[in-house]
Amino acid sequence: MDIKEQEFSRMVRENKSTIYTVCYMFSNDADEVSDLFQETLINLWKGFESFRHESKLSTWIYRVAMNTCISADRKKRKLSSKVPLSMKINLYDDEDHETKQVRQLHERIQRLDLIDRALVMMWLEGMSYEEIAEVVGISVKNVGVKLVRIKEKLKQK
Amino acid sequence: MEELNFDEMRNQITLLKQKLDHQEIVNDQLLREVTRANMGTINWTKYKSFICVAICLVIYPTTMLYMGIFSKAFVIFTCVMVLFCAYGTYYVHRPVDRMNLMTEDLATVAKVMAKFRKQYNQWLYYVTPSLLIPWLSWAVYEYAWKDVPEGMNSWALTIPILVGAVIGLLIGYYWHRRAVNAADKIIRQIEEN
Repeated sequence: MDIKEQEFSRMVRENKSTIYTVCYMFSNDADEVSDLFQETLINLWKGFESFRHESKLSTWIYRVAMNTCISADRKKRKLSSKVPLSMKINLYDDEDHETKQVRQLHERIQRLDLIDRALVMMWLEGMSYEEIAEVVGISVKNVGVKLVRIKEKLKQK
Repeated sequence: MEELNFDEMRNQITLLKQKLDHQEIVNDQLLREVTRANMGTINWTKYKSFICVAICLVIYPTTMLYMGIFSKAFVIFTCVMVLFCAYGTYYVHRPVDRMNLMTEDLATVAKVMAKFRKQYNQWLYYVTPSLLIPWLSWAVYEYAWKDVPEGMNSWALTIPILVGAVIGLLIGYYWHRRAVNAADKIIRQIEEN
């Protein structure tokens, strides 16, 4: 492994939970979450070389993961790459209390459309409006407005 | 209407991330590729054994019978023993050969490799001595003690046989270790993941 690969591998290890969380929230089953996770890692690797650290690494990872999941959702399962790259966890079938809690969150977030899902996830993770705006590519003010609407939507359902 | 609690959602996402923090990324495909490489070592050991058997069966009986160093009974016994060893190798390797590494689940692969390792070790610790000791004793008797020409020391004639046996044993043990280590490596890698 060269230095670049080692650096990438470390970056993936340190941020795997964030990446997987995004993929999970945009998936409907265990296979899909694996596909999205794998595709996100491929896209991160493709962009890793050109990443200039102009934004925070976590923001960049979020952007790549969100873009991958949102665009992959549109072309649903058209991914041809079949290198199974995932984690040994099944958040869809495990029946322990914690997983049930996680599933409840998944169900709530799944009710939203794709962009709203991305926004609410970042908000729940405690990202600032500025960071969310940077990832999604909208103004900070717009983030605030959208989040108010999303919260209303979630309350209504 | 469900009363939504955003704090609860925050806790749930924290819970999810904590769960994921304890997970390792499994690269199943990579693991299979590594396993396949180790399987190559195991197969190579098998092929080397078969090549040796084939050479032995062609060269050994004709040479020995022509030179008259060993009796016909001993040469036949040696050939039967070599064939038996070849069958033993085939038998131990058979489950490994039948396994499709790319489609079989990794738990099965680990199980087959564990059985292979166990049988390989059993062969070394039980079958090898029980075949080798009588064969070697007979070889020493035939070569150094039976019909010894006058003036020749039987003990001195025993030395080349024993040296040959030690060299053969070391080579065989080296092959054995390579195959067992490769199996160990496969099992360890699967267990670690």
